Amino acid sequence: MLFYSYFKTLVGKEVTVELKNDLAITGTLHSVDQYLNVKLNNVKVVNEAKYPHMMSVRNCFIRGSVVRYVQLPPGSVDIEILHDATRREARG
Amino acid sequence: MAADLQEAGLASLVDTTISVITNDGRNIVGILRGYDQATNLILDECHERVYSSKSGVDQVVLGGLHVVRGDNIAVVGELDDDLDQQLNLSQIRAAPLKAVQH
Amino acid sequence: MADEDAATVKEPLDLIRLSLDERIYVKLRGDRELRGRLHAYDQHLNMILGEVEETITTVEIDDETYEEIIKTQKRMVPYLFVRGDGVILCAPPLRQ
Repeated sequence: MLFYSYFKTLVGKEVTVELKNDLAITGTLHSVDQYLNVKLNNVKVVNEAKYPHMMSVRNCFIRGSVVRYVQLPPGSVDIEILHDATRREARG
Repeated sequence: MAADLQEAGLASLVDTTISVITNDGRNIVGILRGYDQATNLILDECHERVYSSKSGVDQVVLGGLHVVRGDNIAVVGELDDDLDQQLNLSQIRAAPLKAVQH
Repeated sequence: MADEDAATVKEPLDLIRLSLDERIYVKLRGDRELRGRLHAYDQHLNMILGEVEETITTVEIDDETYEEIIKTQKRMVPYLFVRGDGVILCAPPLRQ
C-alpha cells in the first residue's frame, strides 16, 4: 500500500516510466491502482526516432508488471514522509 | 464519472480504438469491447502493425474478436484519430520493439 | 526495549530497514546495478532511491578475434522508483 499511496500523491506530476522492453514514456500521471498500473496523459516516448510505435497515442495505460523504473520529479519526494511510512509499513 | 477519472482502469476506452503493445513486442490496433481486473482485453476489428527497419509499417488484418490475455500486455494506448491520420505508415522505418524481459 | 527491537535483525528485511537513508547497492535483472540512498521500500522490495547511479553492463563479441568486450554504461537519476520484481539482491551501506 505504501507505493500505491505514494503514487497517488504524484497524480498531476510529470514522470518518466521505463519499461522492461527498454521503452521509456514521459507523461503526466493521471491515475494509479493497487497493482501499480498507471495511466499517463500527454505522453511522449523518449527517443521517438528509434521508437515511433506510439506516435498516435496521447494517453496510455501501462501495466504495473512491465515497469522497471519510474523517474520521480525531485520536488515531490518528501524524504521524511517516506522514511516514516516505510518504518510504519515494516512494523506491519 | 468522477470515479472513472480517478481509477486507472480502462473504462473510458471501451468502444474506442486502442493500440496495444504486447510483451513479445507486437503492436495490435483494435476496438476495445471489454476488459477485466487482470487486464484481459476483448478486441474487435483488430489488425497488427508490423514494424521493420527495411520497409514501411505493414498492416496485417487479424479480423474478428480476440481476447488478449492480460499477462501478455505491456501498454494500452488511446489511439488519437487525428494524430494517426497524420502518420504516413509507409514512411516509418523502425525495428520491432523488444520483448519484455521480466 | 523498543530501541532494542528496532536494532535486531531477525529476518532479511530487517537488514534493509537498517539501511534506510543509507547508500545501498542493488543488483537487478538484465545486468543492471544501482547505487543510491534508500528512502522507501516494501515487502516486494519495491524501492525509492535517491542520487542514483545506474550501471548497465553489456558484453559484445569482437567479430574477428571473438574476444569478449565488456562495456559499462553509467547514468545518474535524482529519484528513482524501482519495481521489486527486478531486484536480485540488496547490499547494505557501501563503505566509501
